[in-house]
Amino acid sequence: MFTYDLRLALDSLRRHPGLSALMVLAIALGIAVCTVTFTIYHAMSTNPIPHKSSQLYAVTLDTWSADRPYDDDKPENTPQLLTYRDATFLHEAKAAPRSVIMYKSGALLLPERSGVKPFNANLRVTSHDFFSMFDVPFQYGQGWDATADSEPQPVVVLSDETNQKVFAGENSVGRTLKLGKVEYRVAGVLQPWAPSPKFFDLNNGAFEDPEDVYVPYGWGRSLELPVYGNTNCWKAESGDTYQDFLNSECVWLQYWAELPTTADRDRFQAFVDNYARSQKAAGRMPRPLNNRLYDVGQWLDRNEVVQRDNRVLIGIALLFLGVCLVNVVGLLLAKFLNAAPLTGLRRALGASRRDIVRQHMMEVLVIGLAGGVLGLLLAIGGLAGIRAIYGSDFNRGAYQRLTEIDPVVVVVTLALALLAGAIAGLYPAWRIGRTAPAIYLKTQ
Amino acid sequence: MDIKPILSSLRRSPTGAILVALQIALALAITVNSLYIITQRLELIGRDPGMDVKNIFFVGFVPSGDKYQGEVTMREDLAILRGLPGVLAATTVNAVPLSGGGSSTSMYTEPNEKGRRGDMNYFQVDEQGVQTFGVRLAEGRNFDATAVTKPARMSSESPSEILITKDVARDMFPGEPALGKTVYTGTSQPATVVGIIDHMHGSWPGWDKVGNVALFPVIADETFARYMVRARPGQRDEAMQMAEDALNKLDNGRVIIRVRSLEYVAASTYADDRAMATYLSVVIALLLGISALGIFGLAAFNVSTRTKQIGTRRAVGARRADILHYFLAENWLITTVGVVIGCVLALLLGYWLSTTFELPRLKLYYLVLGAVALWIVSLVAALRPARRASLVSPAIATRTV
Repeated sequence: MFTYDLRLALDSLRRHPGLSALMVLAIALGIAVCTVTFTIYHAMSTNPIPHKSSQLYAVTLDTWSADRPYDDDKPENTPQLLTYRDATFLHEAKAAPRSVIMYKSGALLLPERSGVKPFNANLRVTSHDFFSMFDVPFQYGQGWDATADSEPQPVVVLSDETNQKVFAGENSVGRTLKLGKVEYRVAGVLQPWAPSPKFFDLNNGAFEDPEDVYVPYGWGRSLELPVYGNTNCWKAESGDTYQDFLNSECVWLQYWAELPTTADRDRFQAFVDNYARSQKAAGRMPRPLNNRLYDVGQWLDRNEVVQRDNRVLIGIALLFLGVCLVNVVGLLLAKFLNAAPLTGLRRALGASRRDIVRQHMMEVLVIGLAGGVLGLLLAIGGLAGIRAIYGSDFNRGAYQRLTEIDPVVVVVTLALALLAGAIAGLYPAWRIGRTAPAIYLKTQ
Repeated sequence: MDIKPILSSLRRSPTGAILVALQIALALAITVNSLYIITQRLELIGRDPGMDVKNIFFVGFVPSGDKYQGEVTMREDLAILRGLPGVLAATTVNAVPLSGGGSSTSMYTEPNEKGRRGDMNYFQVDEQGVQTFGVRLAEGRNFDATAVTKPARMSSESPSEILITKDVARDMFPGEPALGKTVYTGTSQPATVVGIIDHMHGSWPGWDKVGNVALFPVIADETFARYMVRARPGQRDEAMQMAEDALNKLDNGRVIIRVRSLEYVAASTYADDRAMATYLSVVIALLLGISALGIFGLAAFNVSTRTKQIGTRRAVGARRADILHYFLAENWLITTVGVVIGCVLALLLGYWLSTTFELPRLKLYYLVLGAVALWIVSLVAALRPARRASLVSPAIATRTV
């Protein structure tokens, strides 16, 4: 039965190649536009660390000015970053089972391998728990321990890309490499790792590449490593030295805590609030008490990682698909009614109404599937085009990650195409099923 | 022309007409709103940044050895760059305009953070800064070489002379001349406004005060400094190559890490906006194309099923023009209904976009534009089938009755 219906459907499609192609094209375009939009949306809204996202918290304190909130449009928002004083206190108090204090920096990397030019490496200056907290996978070696943070030891962890570039991808643990003026020993090499969105630091773009090299936190202070993220200040600071900068009310550090249970979370919130109260008593933090812990999902929402544009595009893409479907409904109706004499003949020869509907639905599903496959190909081409035209040295990694088609999208796309075809075909197939055979037989 | 027969014919088989009208309505709603978003993006991208974007490039460097001597080394490099044949001017600078990265500060018209506040995105440049950016001084003068200082890295020391854009001047001194006035940093250090820049964009194109820019006569700290060079018109690419080669020839304790044009930086900054505009343009084009094909397909089908009736009408005296007019009028009627519904849908969609996404409200003339576009598309799509109908021979009627 199935093969018979399929043969009838293909015959019928072949009889009007132009009309059939037009319908396949209409579905394909609707599907392609939806797929491109969904792919980007899906990539933006992916949970980068699903198994732990409700245990990892970005810690924020409202240390801003008495006169104006950090965010004029949303006064309840705390600054995303912390002052050195507050982050250091929270980190050293060890009130959370695990926590990480960090920022993005950079330094000149001088490779010893011949033929590799020196380059400015992006650094993550971070305390040692970064790797275990964020489940960072190692290829060789490991991270460092707490002692390497406070009295900073010259050890580093390299990204896979950096290891490829500097050590040709070999196991480089124990080898040395010069960053700025300091010579470091390689303690570990990561596997290729690029969480997207880069939830732990959204300062320089939510989808940028992770850093090239990870160095123990203490080096930041002892080498006065520059801040590559944002430094935001709300009052005029009159300092002249690095120590003055550290003492200032400027915010520039990220601080994350791992709090496995809600009890841990509540305890930590209370601890932070108590600390803030003591600071208020000492004349700091003039705003009302407002300290917030954001888990990964809340953090991505708070930072509006899914761009407004993309939500708009989802709406437009769905409407576009709607137009394509209406189009297909019209064309199907025309096509089916055009072939009504044939249908009349089949009915007269004993086909039931259900047979007729089934036969026409098969035709519609073939169109839907063909449209889906063609749409998918168009979408892949379109996404490659977006990458090629708009990618630059600054955003290539981000555009790459955002425009990658994943299996989920492929399955959803094909299902959507079949569903779209079915919806479009339902009315025309039903309508043709109601054809009274007599009228057409008379005119033969 | 009498539309009664059209109406009665539509009443008898309304499905096709409803589908066409619905399609036109949806297409109009999407087209109008997309068009509006596109024009907003193009306006954003097309704003005049006030600089000689096409001819400026940047040379990134990092100090790397004991030979590096701060200001001395940077001046040595600047001398090399300024000596190149294709180069007009060069300076050190702390940040790249239009890049998304930069520094800002606030100044006040009175000490102790009193008086009017002016927020400004500042660039630290030397005496060639104005010329290198290619900005126009509306009033006053550029600072001269003697005003240029190199403060220590963390110093909060501020320059004694500054240049500000008209936008900053308007914020701080509304309705009065700003030239020659003294402004104060948050720590009450005074600076004199020696010149007013006509117009210039800063680092953050998305900031509503992107035109609030100030130039400070300061040699930027090496942590963030790069060289900014302005080539003679049309000679940028050669100058970039020459600059890299010339600087690499000299080993004075810094490493050149990259040379990039401002055009490239700006294009990358606006990549999302350009992508959005292009994507929506493609969607509109596809939409109009697919709608036209759909209308064409249905109209052609209608004509072919009504061949007999057309023949009969011709046989009882209708002229070719009558048949043509009949089909065009029918199409026009359906399109108009679609356009009217589409206008309502477009307004609803526009309202939804403006409330949910804080986009500006849809301007009405876009609606008119979209409606006209769809009328034309629909007319063009129906023209061929209608002409075919008019060519039906009256003999058909006699043949098949």
